[in-house]
Amino acid sequence: MSISMALFSSPPPSPTARSPYPSLKPHFTHKFSLSPQPNNNNNNKKHFLFPISTPKASSDNGAGISGASATVDEARAEVKVSEAVKESSVGPNGAVAVVDGEPIAVTKFVDSKWVDGTWDLNQFEKDGKTDWDSVIDAEVRRRKWLEENPETSSNYDPVVFDTSIIPWWAWVRRFHLPEAELLNGRAAMIGFFMAYFVDSLTGIGLVDQMGNFFCKTLLFVAVVGVLIIRKNEDIENLKKILEETSFYDKQWQAAWQDETSNSTKK
Amino acid sequence: MAYSLCLNYSLSSLSTNRQNRYLSIAAFTNPPLLGRKLRVAVIGGGPAGSSAAEALSAGGIETFLLERSPSSAKPCGGAIPLCMLDEFSIPLHLIDRHVTRMKIISPSNLSVDFGSKTLQPDESIPMLRREVLDNFLRCRAQSHGAHLIPALVTHLEVPASSNSPYVVHHTTNNSRKTLAVDVVIGADGANSKVAKSIRAGNYACAIAFQERIRLPDEKMEYYQDLAEMYVGGDVSPDFYGWVFPKCDHVAVGTGTVCAKQDIKVYQRGIRERVKDKIKGGVVIKVEAHPIPEHPRPIRVRGRVALVGDAAGYVTKCSGEGIYFAAKSGRMCGEAIVKASQGGDCMVNECDLMRGYLREWDNKYLSTFRFLDLLQNVFYGSNAAREALVEMCGDEYVQRMTFDSYLYKRLAHNNGWEDVKMLINTIGSLMRCKIVGKEMEALKF
Repeated sequence: MSISMALFSSPPPSPTARSPYPSLKPHFTHKFSLSPQPNNNNNNKKHFLFPISTPKASSDNGAGISGASATVDEARAEVKVSEAVKESSVGPNGAVAVVDGEPIAVTKFVDSKWVDGTWDLNQFEKDGKTDWDSVIDAEVRRRKWLEENPETSSNYDPVVFDTSIIPWWAWVRRFHLPEAELLNGRAAMIGFFMAYFVDSLTGIGLVDQMGNFFCKTLLFVAVVGVLIIRKNEDIENLKKILEETSFYDKQWQAAWQDETSNSTKK
Repeated sequence: MAYSLCLNYSLSSLSTNRQNRYLSIAAFTNPPLLGRKLRVAVIGGGPAGSSAAEALSAGGIETFLLERSPSSAKPCGGAIPLCMLDEFSIPLHLIDRHVTRMKIISPSNLSVDFGSKTLQPDESIPMLRREVLDNFLRCRAQSHGAHLIPALVTHLEVPASSNSPYVVHHTTNNSRKTLAVDVVIGADGANSKVAKSIRAGNYACAIAFQERIRLPDEKMEYYQDLAEMYVGGDVSPDFYGWVFPKCDHVAVGTGTVCAKQDIKVYQRGIRERVKDKIKGGVVIKVEAHPIPEHPRPIRVRGRVALVGDAAGYVTKCSGEGIYFAAKSGRMCGEAIVKASQGGDCMVNECDLMRGYLREWDNKYLSTFRFLDLLQNVFYGSNAAREALVEMCGDEYVQRMTFDSYLYKRLAHNNGWEDVKMLINTIGSLMRCKIVGKEMEALKF
């Protein structure tokens, strides 16, 4: 009996990463039962262990295997076997299906919640409402998988999910608000110290500073600076962007420059 | 942003200085030619050269069209915009296929149908074979009086004084010949000899690599009127891969600027992506050719002008070159006819710069700049490509794209829709960038 599994790839701790287990032949695909594992809250390490319901399950190298599911109707065999380290926060499904497929190496992204080319939002419910954060996580994982293992496009099960399905406030709440908090904090700190500094130098209090045009300009520069320059690398990036935007134009205008050498070249 | 605006302003003020100088020189009239018509050699008989030769000979100028291999099939996409059919009076029987649907497919295989709802019933993208189109244009130029010389040009002798002719050295059937002319139009493509002779400078080239594959009938049925574009890091790092239907086969290819040595890897990538759809196909030809990325530093020098690929008139983002080649050839030819008053006077460099280069830049510079902006924004990373495909799902975007491609016009009739499109673009880019950043974080 052999197993074929579709796994998510990632830099693995063990040397057997990304190579098919030599003894596996892609005849069967099993749906594995997943159980959520306690997350260590460190975002950078995501470990995931699945108990596998077949004897060939080799968890000896700490491999986690993603929920590979194929129904009996679809005669597709998944083969690509690689180390998988992945995080998931929900774990449904215990059904095990056996598929008889031809031994063609076909890689496909499969997930129990990925139905008909889009995420089945009903399966992401938490307390009666859709848990958008986990939808975003699932999509990130899917795209990461596809980036590592580009998939053949197919006419029969087109992908129809796009990020605009997720409402704007879910994005704002998860990504914009923490960043905004950070930047506002920085701006406040800079503002406080600048006000103190100017006050100690000139004796003008905060209210009077705001009446002065120069101080208002400094304030504006500080706010814009905090927004634009978040890391030291940003300064270099900005310079590069400015150069790039004018580069193409310079190439076109080149025909109009440099006429001094022209008149002698007839 | 302010910095680039200042840069633009200073560049344009520099250029107006040069233009002003040329405009003032234009007050001098050119000396009339006594007893003969102006002689022009057009080197290269593709769309650019043939259109130039046609415009010149229709205007009464003695034209010589030199083409080294009149029957070769050039490796090319073969798609032309609708406006070219009208402007260049191309008969409909030359068209192999009318593509009415396009699919653009993102790295995560999100595929968007372009055109099934937004193309009018009489609109399509005509696909032709280059050898058929080039032959037609050449014959038409000949019928207007151009002399077609099947010869390979070896080099162009630039004269020392402004009255001596240019001497074109060419070989026909192993015999060397020379041809003395007054004006030369270089339409000899990306590796232009004319450009080298006038020291026009170099340009960066992308390489386009494609395989022509003959498919079994039922697979060909799928591509009956459908062209596909694939974007993704596996297909190309800075361009796209394509499947274009041709007369009885498909062309599967990809291109890149920055990673030319890995082009085979990317070709394998696109083959993988379309594996199911081309299963059972047979590769009948493999071809590659360079595509210029930007214009050469000098496009007109002395009485020599470059047109088409030799000048570098290929748009970024879509890689379209046939229409611009033909149009630039025609504009250059017409400029020469006008400046020489039907072939009776000599022309000089300012005539070419004013009548051809300035006209061309005025008309098409903004198009080229805009497409360059699109390429920089959307082709840079997988996240941006996802955003591009998402944006393409919007009907307004599709309509604008077709209008600007098929008719070469930017119909800004709806300001509110434009604002909405801009907001949607920014939204898509931001969302996809966030997903991209999360993907990066997932690695560690």
